[in-house]
Amino acid sequence: MTHSHPALSRRRFLGAAAATTAAANMAVVDLLSSPVFAEQLKQQQKRVILLWLAGGSSQLETWDPKPGRPTGGPFGKISTNAPGVEISELLPKLAQRMHHTAVIRSLNTQIGDHGGGATLMETGRREEAGIQFPDLGAIVARELGRKDSQVPDYVSMYTSTEGRRKGTSGFLGGRYAPMFLSESMIPPNLARPEEIGELDHRQRMELRQLLTERFQRDRQNLVVSSQTSAYQRVRGLMSSESLFDIEREPQEQRDFYGPSQFQQQCLIARRLIEAGVPFVKVARAWWDSHGQNFETHRELCADLDQAMSALLDDLERRGLLEHTLIITLGEFGRTPGINPSLGRDHFASAWSCSLSGCGIKGGSVYGKTDEDGHRVVEGETKSGDLFATIFSALGIDWQKEYHFGARPIPITDFGCKPIPEVLA
Amino acid sequence: MPADPTQLKKDREFGLPGIAFCAARVPATERFYFGSSDAKVYAIDLADEKPQAVPLAEDGHTSYVTGAALSGNTLLTGGYDKQLLWWNVESNEIVRREPAHELWIRKIIASPDGRAFVSIADDMRAKVWSAGDGQLVRTLEDHQPLTPHHYPSMLYAVAWSPDGRYLATGDKVGHVAVWDASSFEKVGEVEAPLMYTWDPKQRRHSIGGIRSLAFSHDSKLLAVGGIGTIGNIDHLDGPHRIEVFDWQAKERKLEISNNELKGLVECLAFAPDGTWLAAAGGDHGGFVAFYKVENGESIKAEKAPMHVYEFTFSDDGETLYTIGHGKLATWKLSPA
Amino acid sequence: MFSDRCLSVLTCLCLCGMPLAVSLAADDLLPPDRPIHEVVDHYIDARLSEKGVTPAPAVSDAEFLRRVTLDLAGRIPTVHELRDYTAATDPAKKTALIDRLLASPDFAFHQRNRLDELLMGDQRKDGPWRDYLLRSVQNDKPWDQMFREMMVASEDDSELAPALTFLKVRLRDVNTLTNDVSRLFFGVSINCAQCHDHPLVDDWKQDHYFGFASFFNRTYQTKSNRLAEKFDGMLKFRDTEGVEKPAKFMFLTGVSVEEPPLELTDEQKKQNDEIVKTSMKEDKAPLPAPEFRPRERFVELALSESNRSYFTQSIVNRMWASLLGRGLVDPPDQNHSGNTPSHPELLQWLERDFVANGYNLKRLLGGIAASNAYTRSSAWEGERPNPELFAVGSVRVLSPRQYSLSLLIATAGPESLPASIAEERWSELRKNWDGAAEGFADRLERPTEHFQVSVDEALMFSNDTRVDRDYLRDSGDKLVGAAQSLEDPSAQLELLFESALSRRPTDDERSIFLGYLQERSDRAVDGLKQVLWALITSPEMRFNY
Repeated sequence: MTHSHPALSRRRFLGAAAATTAAANMAVVDLLSSPVFAEQLKQQQKRVILLWLAGGSSQLETWDPKPGRPTGGPFGKISTNAPGVEISELLPKLAQRMHHTAVIRSLNTQIGDHGGGATLMETGRREEAGIQFPDLGAIVARELGRKDSQVPDYVSMYTSTEGRRKGTSGFLGGRYAPMFLSESMIPPNLARPEEIGELDHRQRMELRQLLTERFQRDRQNLVVSSQTSAYQRVRGLMSSESLFDIEREPQEQRDFYGPSQFQQQCLIARRLIEAGVPFVKVARAWWDSHGQNFETHRELCADLDQAMSALLDDLERRGLLEHTLIITLGEFGRTPGINPSLGRDHFASAWSCSLSGCGIKGGSVYGKTDEDGHRVVEGETKSGDLFATIFSALGIDWQKEYHFGARPIPITDFGCKPIPEVLA
Repeated sequence: MPADPTQLKKDREFGLPGIAFCAARVPATERFYFGSSDAKVYAIDLADEKPQAVPLAEDGHTSYVTGAALSGNTLLTGGYDKQLLWWNVESNEIVRREPAHELWIRKIIASPDGRAFVSIADDMRAKVWSAGDGQLVRTLEDHQPLTPHHYPSMLYAVAWSPDGRYLATGDKVGHVAVWDASSFEKVGEVEAPLMYTWDPKQRRHSIGGIRSLAFSHDSKLLAVGGIGTIGNIDHLDGPHRIEVFDWQAKERKLEISNNELKGLVECLAFAPDGTWLAAAGGDHGGFVAFYKVENGESIKAEKAPMHVYEFTFSDDGETLYTIGHGKLATWKLSPA
Repeated sequence: MFSDRCLSVLTCLCLCGMPLAVSLAADDLLPPDRPIHEVVDHYIDARLSEKGVTPAPAVSDAEFLRRVTLDLAGRIPTVHELRDYTAATDPAKKTALIDRLLASPDFAFHQRNRLDELLMGDQRKDGPWRDYLLRSVQNDKPWDQMFREMMVASEDDSELAPALTFLKVRLRDVNTLTNDVSRLFFGVSINCAQCHDHPLVDDWKQDHYFGFASFFNRTYQTKSNRLAEKFDGMLKFRDTEGVEKPAKFMFLTGVSVEEPPLELTDEQKKQNDEIVKTSMKEDKAPLPAPEFRPRERFVELALSESNRSYFTQSIVNRMWASLLGRGLVDPPDQNHSGNTPSHPELLQWLERDFVANGYNLKRLLGGIAASNAYTRSSAWEGERPNPELFAVGSVRVLSPRQYSLSLLIATAGPESLPASIAEERWSELRKNWDGAAEGFADRLERPTEHFQVSVDEALMFSNDTRVDRDYLRDSGDKLVGAAQSLEDPSAQLELLFESALSRRPTDDERSIFLGYLQERSDRAVDGLKQVLWALITSPEMRFNY
């Protein structure tokens, strides 16, 4: 407050407001270099990175290869460092890291259009007219985010334009809506514009707070409070801008993740996670390989293999992997049948995803498809089962309920439960 | 009687097991060897009363067979199992196996004189093999393993000039290298970057690439085949595309983009007299098309009953054989 | 047994119920010739005294002006309007104000936006559709007529065809279409009856859901994007026993329509199919012209005297909610026996009045705005009384368009604004503003149930240079520029407060803000900018309170 006018600083409201914001300025900038802080975080919080394979990746070219079968495609399978587990040869690096990862090969989610499938796999339940369910990011933000957090609770990156989805906090409200990066690698409006000085920027926020308190005193209202808390978080969040700036990472770190945009975004995800952001989604679009499925997967699996392997190694090295769950998922898988464009089409009745890290029994495989991959023969898994498993891995009570008006909404869809076989 | 592409008409059609990616015809016959998605190599003789695809030895490849070339009794095949197999087609025996490439083999051709084979693969190398003893003669390296966008590149196309003097190799990002076929020095290059089809914004991947190459009979012209700009690269939803270069002058002579028949140009061939250029390929369906070399005008274009991966002309030029997704078709080009 | 999916019935309390929970004889209601505002206060006050609750006092003139201008004109008042209104001594000035606003060009724009947001929500913007709404509102088109046009307008009528956009944007999914029609026009969220019958109310069945959906099941869009109906096609559904049943054409009240049996030869059927198929493939193909048109029958049924109550109650309730912050039935799309109206007589009286006066929305809004219930202060010390008593004014977040337009007005230099909206150029100005406000409105989230102001919004206001550029500029036509030209800081401050918040600063505020401005006197413009920023981002600006 050294720069403030005495008339201002005499006022208690300004003093209080300034104190919080000043503290906020310090918090995030330093925490990366502070081992103490990192240590505390490790003990505290569980976090999630969702690698969203938008458009629908092929289970046959990733987690559930069927080489030699008419549906198998040209690529082979390779053994992994998990005994007995084989995956597509397109994921050689991940094969060496399967001890972190559980594969679910038995998703049967039935919805085979992009919008419907994405909504289902983002929210863990079918759409219902008249109610908007929160997605996984919003639920995790709410369950694992700290109320007074100086970092965002939910960051969502989706830079390709096809099928772009921001994510939604649904009935949980704007507090848990994602901070969304669609154009640039740094979220919009996180930096103070040059046109306004630091002092002005801070003091106008204090003036605003004064007007707010007067208004709010006799008007207890959730929406009004949400506005107040949104503005109160601004200065703290601004100090997290550096988290998105991978220029701050040593070159060898950046090389370690690799040069593709997805790989760089995974590095940002790690920076965010490390700073305490509970949920980061990195969408890699667009896997929708109706034509040239094998060429597409050769290209995109290489991206995934490198990015996810780097994430696993880096998180493990930093001691964060045991607190961080990496989910690799899309809206559906792809048909076992290969069409005349050497493509695979949408397929939601027997497909795969993977879970790595926090709370997961690494090297495990759950569920089984038939020899050509047409249907699930063992361990059928619905989106709600996957969600219950994710909640359990994170220590969230999967039987918890929210309320939408008078109506209780269990966070896990009806009739679904966790899969103990993949949980540590 | 010279072939007349204006008369192009589909003649016979045969069902094949799986997807036929490659084929080699025994000269002066209608006997073919072709490689299939079921990992088998088949023989089929259209001169038979009821032509049927008969597999060669059972323990051959273990994945898609994408390359096949013939030299005398020697058939060389290769595929996604990364190995080359030398077959003696007389005895129906595999005489030699070679783990030839680090990654998937995309195509195999034989030299016009039959003395050498070339295999290309996604390790971005072209390997020249002696047809006689199967020894590796030379490895040609000019294609970048990664695309400018840091993804794995692919080496799809290779062609030998009819006079045997040159080889050309073409990759995913649209780069073509031309090699002297005796010294194996690189003697030229051309670029057809549009065929890469990289979508930097909407979908952030690519499915195109140079899929076919052909030299004119005087070796002066080099035709490059692929697909043009695709709006939606989830599908092969773009014009089939051919660019013809005077490769020594580095001058593009023709740019053919045909939106009526969409998809990839998988194979190309010049007429012996150099007047026309034949192309075939497809998307979900297939096509065969003929263009005037003089100006790129379409002479004749027909839908094919399947996506075509390879074609070859009969010795008299009056029959065209196309092979591809589940089918082999023959076409007549002679005046009725 | 329920399937897993249908277990949701156990918690699905959202449903749907018996038609019209309370139905009183007309004699029990206040006479129809009483003014709306008197009737509103009669019923609201009766309930308050019954509960022994003393309502909040009425707001000041300035606060009333701000509230009603936002509600009827979609914007805050200008400084001129504020000064004129607060200075006026006419005892009937409140009524005159309401009449003036309802007659102003503002009303049509705002009412169009209100209806667009209600009916389209986040759906894509559509010029012809919005123009259709605007024309309709400008012509005081009755609500039943607008509904009819949205359901069955002729594609050949270029004036009215854009009304069909409501259906067209929902055609992809008949369930969404069904629920949206039911929810938005009838106040009933019928979707829960899709998978199961209601567990508590015997007479609300899947039959109702699929019956309702049946009216829309034959509707499709042709190749040329025209709305058409097929000749045949009936929905079937699997009941909770797993038995497949055919649906009937059934309205919410349980009344159904029989389709007259048609004896068609195979040849005729083939022909019909061909017509439909061609219309989906060819731009210029003629539309099918079936004898039996389900949507027309639907409109007839829904508006018929014995069935129209869902329709009329729903819109009356929504208009009420849009002014009072809460429906008489709340939430407004939950009209069912388990969720009775807070003031059933009032709802019924308003409904009767609405029908008797030609489904006139403007009249209804004006009447509600003239009531005492509408004028109550939103401030309340201590525990707030039950909101369904309407004892205290509500705090309502502005729609993106309201906020965006109000920002333009709040930050405009007073000289750049007409002294009176009676001026001719007001109409043109208002139209331009409506367009100018769109861009910024697009960047704000549209409030829905459980809306919260997001941190994105706070970050945008804090750091997007466009905010400073658009609203805090110091050019002469803008407020900062105008304030700068005043010598006296106190006068400057007053102008900023009046322009943005429609009030003068309190003594406390005056001393703090003047202290701040004084500290900034070396960069006086910057000081004014920051004060204005604090004002336009404050809750007083963001909410209608």
